[in-house]
Amino acid sequence: MQLNMDRPGVTIFLQGNAALARGALEAGVDYATSYPGSPTVEILELLAQVARQCGFYAEWSVNEKVAVEGAAAASLAGLRALAITKADGLNVALDFLTCLGLTGVRGGLVLVVGDDPSGHSSVKEEDTRFLARVAHLPVLEPTTPQEAKEMVGVAFRLSEHLAQPVVLRTVTRICHAGGNVTLGPLPQERRRPSLGTEDRFICVPRQHLQQEQKLREAAKLAEAWNLVSYEGPAKAETLIVASGPGLLYAREAVKRLQRQDQVGLVGLKMVWPLPETVLQRYLQVARRVLVVEEIEPFIEEQIAALIGRNAGEWPLLRLYGRKDNTIAGSFGGGCGELTPDLVRAALTTILGLSAPEETGFRTEFRPPERELAFCAGCPHRASFWALQSAIALDGRRAVVLGDIGCYTLGRGRSGYRVLHTVHAMGSGLGLASGFGKLKEWNWERPTVAVLGDSTFYHAALPALINALYNRSDLLLVIFDNETTAMTGHQPHPGREVDARGEPAKPVSLEQILHGLGVPLKIQDPYDVRSSMRAIYRALKEEDVRALILRGPCALLRDRKLAQLRTYVDQMRCLGEGCGCNVFCSRVWACPANRWDGLRGKAYIDETLCTGCGACAQLCPAGAIRTEGGEAPWREG
Amino acid sequence: MARRLEAEPLNILLTGVGGQGNVLAARVIAMASVASGYQVAVGETFGASQRGGTVASHVRLALKDRYGPLIPRGEAHVIVGFEPLEACRALLAYGNINTYVLANWRPLPPVSVLQGEEEYPALADLERFLLEHTGGLLVLDATARAQELGSAAATNMVLTGALVASGLLPLDPQALDQVLKELFTDAVLELNRKALAAGMAVWEQSTPQQIWLGCSPNKDSATR
Amino acid sequence: MPPKGPLHLQKEVLQVEQCTGCGLCAGLCPYFNVVDERVALTSTCGLSEGLCYEVCPRTPTDWELIDRTVFGAPRQDHVLGHWQGLYYARAGEAAPAIEGKQYGGTVTALVAFALTQGLAHGALLTSGLPGDFPVPVLARTMDEVLAAAGSKYSATPTLQALVGAMRDGLGSMVVVGRPCQVLAVRKLQSVKRRTPVTNLTAGTKLFLLGLFCFWALSSAFYERFLPSKLNPLEVTRLDLPPYELVVSTPKGELRLPVDELRPLIRPACEVCFDPTAEFADLTVGSTEDDPRWNTLLARSALGSELLEAATAAGWLEVRPYPADRVHLLREAVARKKRRVVTGPAGPPPYLFLQEAYHRGVVAAEEESGCS
Ligand SMILES: Cc1cc2nc3c(=O)[nH]c(=O)nc-3n(C[C@H](O)[C@H](O)[C@H](O)COP(=O)(O)OP(=O)(O)OC[C@H]3O[C@@H](n4cnc5c(N)ncnc54)[C@H](O)[C@@H]3O)c2cc1C
Ligand code: SF4
Ligand code: SF4
Repeated sequence: MQLNMDRPGVTIFLQGNAALARGALEAGVDYATSYPGSPTVEILELLAQVARQCGFYAEWSVNEKVAVEGAAAASLAGLRALAITKADGLNVALDFLTCLGLTGVRGGLVLVVGDDPSGHSSVKEEDTRFLARVAHLPVLEPTTPQEAKEMVGVAFRLSEHLAQPVVLRTVTRICHAGGNVTLGPLPQERRRPSLGTEDRFICVPRQHLQQEQKLREAAKLAEAWNLVSYEGPAKAETLIVASGPGLLYAREAVKRLQRQDQVGLVGLKMVWPLPETVLQRYLQVARRVLVVEEIEPFIEEQIAALIGRNAGEWPLLRLYGRKDNTIAGSFGGGCGELTPDLVRAALTTILGLSAPEETGFRTEFRPPERELAFCAGCPHRASFWALQSAIALDGRRAVVLGDIGCYTLGRGRSGYRVLHTVHAMGSGLGLASGFGKLKEWNWERPTVAVLGDSTFYHAALPALINALYNRSDLLLVIFDNETTAMTGHQPHPGREVDARGEPAKPVSLEQILHGLGVPLKIQDPYDVRSSMRAIYRALKEEDVRALILRGPCALLRDRKLAQLRTYVDQMRCLGEGCGCNVFCSRVWACPANRWDGLRGKAYIDETLCTGCGACAQLCPAGAIRTEGGEAPWREG
Repeated sequence: MARRLEAEPLNILLTGVGGQGNVLAARVIAMASVASGYQVAVGETFGASQRGGTVASHVRLALKDRYGPLIPRGEAHVIVGFEPLEACRALLAYGNINTYVLANWRPLPPVSVLQGEEEYPALADLERFLLEHTGGLLVLDATARAQELGSAAATNMVLTGALVASGLLPLDPQALDQVLKELFTDAVLELNRKALAAGMAVWEQSTPQQIWLGCSPNKDSATR
Repeated sequence: MPPKGPLHLQKEVLQVEQCTGCGLCAGLCPYFNVVDERVALTSTCGLSEGLCYEVCPRTPTDWELIDRTVFGAPRQDHVLGHWQGLYYARAGEAAPAIEGKQYGGTVTALVAFALTQGLAHGALLTSGLPGDFPVPVLARTMDEVLAAAGSKYSATPTLQALVGAMRDGLGSMVVVGRPCQVLAVRKLQSVKRRTPVTNLTAGTKLFLLGLFCFWALSSAFYERFLPSKLNPLEVTRLDLPPYELVVSTPKGELRLPVDELRPLIRPACEVCFDPTAEFADLTVGSTEDDPRWNTLLARSALGSELLEAATAAGWLEVRPYPADRVHLLREAVARKKRRVVTGPAGPPPYLFLQEAYHRGVVAAEEESGCS
């Protein structure tokens, strides 16, 4: 199945991200950029696959700021441009975006931003709508994959109409949801870049006024462009205002409670600026209003303000939502992702209905929790083991600053809880630059920054330069698995190919570090003892120094290695005895190292084992054997 | 083509551990369902994919209306557990006493269990728990079947096969086969087709007792 | 005493810098690790008792008990311990040329002899470039034995490789070690309990060749000291004749007063009660007189047999110890032992001396007349 199949009218199943990508194709996107981030990562991946064929440009950019800048350039040249980020990524681009919001754009510029309520694959649940508001950009929110697809085109038209970038805010339950999507036609014509001799885009403060005017104009368009929906009785005393998947949950709740003739349901597709004129109609007659939206009470607060502005003119009405905990959120206290159950519970409450019977089972049984873990054979497990051992050997209680990537799991069991901090992309190195200056207080704990290759390109350079220039003491350990693994192996500037699979000019980590004069060692993490030694020695050094632990992601490594059968020699295994106490599965804890409690011996789950040989080096009894030759880490 | 549904929407939950391929199975089912004329909503719930956490796919089929991508708690009609513990976890959250469960009887212990901080419940206890709390249960070693066919990666299609043969999923096997042909080629296509057939065979060869009362994987393998 | 384990070892030995760097614990168990001669407990096994504590030479040790297990009786000589013969020795004519030998090459000749005769199937030695961290090796060939000649004056944790070597089925082995290492191996051999490790020990014949050792250097010697003086990679030989450190390079010799090294001595060595490897089968040291010869003490029957065979085959040349030098040796040893026992802090915690042993040490030094 090809994303660019030209079969208008056909209905197929598409994941939300695929629907967004298809929407971009149908809207005739000319230029698409992104930095990989869940939940939106597949959009650019899919676009890049067909970019050459469809005659548009697609790139993985080094970070989100550059991605938005690149897309903006295309837009200033009159092209339709799409920049795709996750919520956290928009922060990176925000400085530029608040300026771009002042100058405005020419060709349609749409920012698809994926929010991750409850932070399923993020370190925070951030609500993009506030940032868009800071930059004075209109925000649209789709409800289903079908709508997501259509909305890309709407966003482009709106952007061109206003000469302003437009944010299309999606959430995990759109991106990672899927459903029936009816395809539309693909454009035949392509645009050409242009820039008039008089065209200038220079940011000055008084453009603030134009921004406000553009927003007013946008609010006016909401009705004409069908960006507000309504279903329910002509006059509803109980009103739900919902956006995104919340609208589906609300509709299901109304149906389940059989209140279709009593409850009005307003669906907001434009959430900023608030389409006040349309909303007013429903609010004026309502006595109670429940706002259902993802993450923050954004719409809720605007409606509160609207009610305030109309105080005395409208009958008294009560507002419910996250603020008052009517929508409890899956974290409680109004925080965390929506679920159909939370929405139904909220509606039950405001309708004064009795709570439904508990459907749950009455049982004490609680399955043990399943924490995320590094994959079998992951080089990061070996790297963290070496790191924690080296730190223990060093004995000065090094402070380890973490970063964003698979190796963020270094905060948990799977990474031996080595990390002291995890914040934003590249921030570990910035923090390290600071910790590394505490020597002026006679602080003797060494400083270690752990970050991945993709993160290094994304955000590490300014912090690194800062540390060098200001003579901070830190050890930078780059966990280089030669890909952006966390989000599914997108290429990054160190690779030989670009997003479209075409030859790229790789920018080598080593050369950057050499160029900056950072002493550097490169080490194979699977050779665990050598890694331990390399880290131990590097800890003792001063100033800024770097160690690259380079081993390919276990999911990408040549599967040949997996054919080196690794097994536990049952005669040698010490099991729970002194000198081991189940080191391999209990402490090292690769998912392929398993423990047979009945026989008191370890074994290897061959369906998971990748043949990396790391555990074989560490087993104190030499019981873990690799069949068919040397452990692969010794080769070459 | 679309049949009448036993429930509207019909809620099917596929659950397992990252890397087991349940998201792909859900997509195959969803594609076949859309092609068969249903309205489908799928919600993939996972943290970082592949990183050994719980992964669940909510699949909801309806004749007309569009539903949200998440199944309300207690309302799953069918749970396909790719892993025993996950089958139980999903049942506790999304199942009820009438839910049907198909479970791959291949434990994958969480890190907390590997590290000895928690215990993996005895399989017999898990099986009893499922028997006592479900409307019907089939446990099978789908991974073993997939390995026999050449790769544990086909576990998901064995389970999908059993699901479609059970009639709990209102689809014709041909619809699934069509999707496989769209998605795969050559050896991978063959593997997945065989796995689908193997899964169907497991259901067909199971006696009603085995299905209603559960059959331990040992018994399952003993019949081979 | 309740049984003790890794956390006690951590508290009583490692954290208070009493580790001798023998390396045995790190070979027993994956929770101890070694890098650059630093031994540390890098994570915990969760067990409350363990072999690690039992075999460490710096956990409480009853000297008399070890004498009884190794030699079958308490000692008479409280200065040199059990011995059957005291000689000057050096590599004999039949032995291959030993280029890097420290002095007479006695140790290397004995090891080489044992291997060629099939008396031992491997030897645990300390190899590496003179200017860099030494490397433990399990030597099986003549080349490997010759390459390991020469003293490395730091606490190389060679024993890290011992258990693995036994496990690999070397039925008999030579272990060349500092006195603390010899003691560690003896403690391991005296564990009566049957465990997978003690089963291995019981099934392996070990020739223990001890070295005289009055102190060893800490890793700072390689990390900082040498690099501050010259390019360590150029060093061809190190020697510690009395009062000096001699560093040889192709460009010439650098002579440094031994006092410069004092701050680098491993703290554990300050309280070492055993400068002559009292529990070895054979002990070898310098003569402090003629660098072409070694001092050699034959202690056990096994040691004497090896010595006799090597001499008979011409691999080793021995002559009587010069009578006028015996008291010099005894005085030096007695002084060190007494200092440890009667130091201001009293005997170190690891040292458990029965009354007779204690009296013996104090008396021995008084009798040799130098207090
Ligand atoms: C740390 C140290 C301190 C010493 N202090 C004294 C002293 O104070 N007085 C004295 O008389 N003699 C001392 N010696 C012994 C002396 O230096 C010679 O090793 C000994 O005389 C044997 O000489 P050789 O010619 O037979 O040695 P070679 O034939 O050259 O053989 C030396 C053997 O010792 C082994 N070896 C080298 N370094 C070490 C080490 N660090 N740990 C364990 N094994 C090692 C080698 O593997 C080799 O097999 C000391 C040795 C060491 C290692
Ligand atoms: S680490 Fe080695 S000895 Fe210990 S349980 Fe695993 S296989 Fe057995
Ligand atoms: S002296 Fe030996 S056994 Fe004791 S802690 Fe040090 S290396 Fe381990």
